Amino acid sequence: MQFRNRPFDTAPVALKIEKLTVRTANDDDAVKILDQIDVTIREGETVCLVGESGSGKSVTSLAIMGLLPKGALEVAGGRVELDGMNLLDLDASTMRKLRASRISMIFQEPMTALNPVMKVGDQIEEVLDSHTKLPAREKKKRVIDIMEQVHLPDVERIYGSYPHQLSGGQRQRIMIAMALILEPKLLIADEPTTALDVTTQNQVLKLIAELQERHGTAVLFITHDMGVVAEIADTVYVMRHGKIVESAPIETLLRSPQKDYTRNLLEAVPSLIPRDARPLADGAPALDVEGLTKVYDTRSFFGRGRETRAAQDVRFAIRPGRTLGIVGESGSGKSTVARCIMRLIDPTDGRITVGKADIAKLGRAALQPHRKHIQIVFQDPFRSLNPRWKVGDSLIEGPLNFGQSRKQALDHARELMELVGLPPDALGRYPHQFSGGQRQRIAIARAIAMRPDVLVADEAVSALDVSVQAQVLKLLDDLQEKLGIAILFITHDLRVAAQICDDVVVMQHGRIVEHDTAGNVLSRPQHEYTRALIDAAPGRRWDFANFRELATA
Amino acid sequence: MAAQPQPTSAMQVVLGAIQLPRRWRLGFGPILAALVLIVIVVATASAYLYVPHNPMSMDALQRLKGPSETYWLGTDPYGRDLFSRVMVGGQVSLLIGVAAAIVSVLIGLVIGLISGFFRMADALIMRVMDALMAIPSILLAIALVALVGPSVGSVIFAITIPEVPRVVRLVRSVVLSAREEPYVEAAIALGSSMPKILWKHLMPNTLAPLIVQGTYICASAILTEAILSFLGAGVSTEIPTWGNIMAEGRMFFQIKPELIFWPGLLLSLCILSINLLGDTARDLLDPRLKKREA
Repeated sequence: MQFRNRPFDTAPVALKIEKLTVRTANDDDAVKILDQIDVTIREGETVCLVGESGSGKSVTSLAIMGLLPKGALEVAGGRVELDGMNLLDLDASTMRKLRASRISMIFQEPMTALNPVMKVGDQIEEVLDSHTKLPAREKKKRVIDIMEQVHLPDVERIYGSYPHQLSGGQRQRIMIAMALILEPKLLIADEPTTALDVTTQNQVLKLIAELQERHGTAVLFITHDMGVVAEIADTVYVMRHGKIVESAPIETLLRSPQKDYTRNLLEAVPSLIPRDARPLADGAPALDVEGLTKVYDTRSFFGRGRETRAAQDVRFAIRPGRTLGIVGESGSGKSTVARCIMRLIDPTDGRITVGKADIAKLGRAALQPHRKHIQIVFQDPFRSLNPRWKVGDSLIEGPLNFGQSRKQALDHARELMELVGLPPDALGRYPHQFSGGQRQRIAIARAIAMRPDVLVADEAVSALDVSVQAQVLKLLDDLQEKLGIAILFITHDLRVAAQICDDVVVMQHGRIVEHDTAGNVLSRPQHEYTRALIDAAPGRRWDFANFRELATA
Repeated sequence: MAAQPQPTSAMQVVLGAIQLPRRWRLGFGPILAALVLIVIVVATASAYLYVPHNPMSMDALQRLKGPSETYWLGTDPYGRDLFSRVMVGGQVSLLIGVAAAIVSVLIGLVIGLISGFFRMADALIMRVMDALMAIPSILLAIALVALVGPSVGSVIFAITIPEVPRVVRLVRSVVLSAREEPYVEAAIALGSSMPKILWKHLMPNTLAPLIVQGTYICASAILTEAILSFLGAGVSTEIPTWGNIMAEGRMFFQIKPELIFWPGLLLSLCILSINLLGDTARDLLDPRLKKREA
């Protein structure tokens, strides 16, 4: 694995944070969100701030930019030094001048960070308008120039496009162009690639590195993804509960982490090496999908309509006790397949056999008795439980629909809580009283309460921190062992797929391009697209859990 | 915001003693509005217990008298006691307001839920609602009263119908966004029936905005009733309502403005209070608005 082992001891310091403390702004019971953190970033250096959700990474970036939410958070001490000035002392108008010209920032979600009703060219130009006094012709030239630097194709056309007309990767490039047009000294990137597909992520990471090289910008890169860190960091700061746990050059940190927390964090990163193959179960498949097709008709009022084939001729089967993964990038049709199988949307064509019955064409009433055989766990644990219902009521909703008595169902729910590792008194509480990982356990318990034969997990661990992710994956594995359910696991993350799947289906543009055992797909990919996906997986040559290179590269 | 406002009046001292949780602590305005409203409601509801005269009994010798010990606010052109009429008249006005609010919210809720959840029904229902909204509500109400004849029930009906489309739109928009929530899809996957999903998962989302909308409808219904009565299209003239009293007083407005002033004052106070309470309810039920203010 090639790290960016570049020496920075002699480079001038771009930003120095000393003993920065941030706390909540209410006087009675102020909580420290950041506790005396020290970070130094030198010119041309990429510093990665890693940590799980709630560790204070984003608050650090907001504090540097002077953008802490007023009335909620306030700086309680410390210095943030840039160009010999303490940014914390500056008034609002001086700070406003510094933003974009000396420090700039890119965000996670480029769709919401850009103004949807303004052409992107004008948005980049706006930065120049508020910080420089250039003639119109010169401005346009600068904008075109920076757009070329971020490798946007067909710059003249994109200049006049609106954000919704661009892809996610292109939008992020526009954000980067806006951030770098005034050649700031420091670029803060807050999870800039988290919302992007792996192949796009790879390109954006390369782009940031390239521009950094050209302009000598210091980069503060905030991420939770250790793979990304391995690819781009010079120096890493690990954060937890608002404190810096450990900081070191990238290779030192990955090879010999000093602190237990760092060690645990690295060990939780799922490996790209597929799990050991499990013996093939025989017997009839629990779920058999054949020729599944979903076509969206975007019929316009005038003229002829356009067809979008979200899924085409998808076929696979899962036997009891096995896990099949569907991997692919956004728009590949993997969620469409899951939703068709759950009959949350109606497939256009094909057969979906659950047990012995084909449910693809059943009407609402005829479908009802088959619902209990197949259950789903969604991605977002904050939205998949009704916030107004007690956990117990959510858990027994399904069993009550199928004729169990309330008492029976509650007794079973209590057992389920134990099975997913939650205290039985959780039944009487509301979802907001639980963390994301705990809620996902509840969602799994709700699905299992129906004693299904098939469990569909639609990006079920994607919203969770790596350590929690590992626990939930283990839970799914244990449940499968005990109950012998078949799992259809949908994910965009090859690492996760490698950990849990026996077989893997790779989808692109609504079609299956590869279907084989997890071992074969991940180690000996046949299709070009699969290879591209694996190549783009960040940090793929590093075995995080064992602190060394992967044995086979 | 200041940490703890200094008590400025005796009322606030008393109210300050009741310790409410922080988010329910109210300002001076809403408390005053609630008190005004409570006084008016209690006073009108119990009017027959204390009014000195029968509000319907005419006396040709006592026409258009000024305030006196027997006639506290004077008399109207038929010699009826104005004070008694105003207090009793509030009963019908308030009854119509509250009833119209409740009925239109209930009807709107049911139609809105159906319209938001069943896409087939939606197109048809919403076009009917659009058509209803296209007609000015007073005009529609007059037409409806003309159709069924003047009575308290028909006035409630006539005020309710024009309000229904607004409630339907509100409920439908809430349902449309809530039905995309994964917990609703999970309920479908768990085999819950459509009525159960509508009632137990989707309906609770509409309650907070409906309470707020209900108060506004209540205020505007009281006003509409007064307008209908004033135009002679409301409750039949022998029953005193604030609108009827003002309508009868309008010919003598220049010589005896009290005939319009007193019922008008109570009407305004009522509507102001209800609207203020509606705003308060909206702020309390929508945490985002509260944050913006802070």
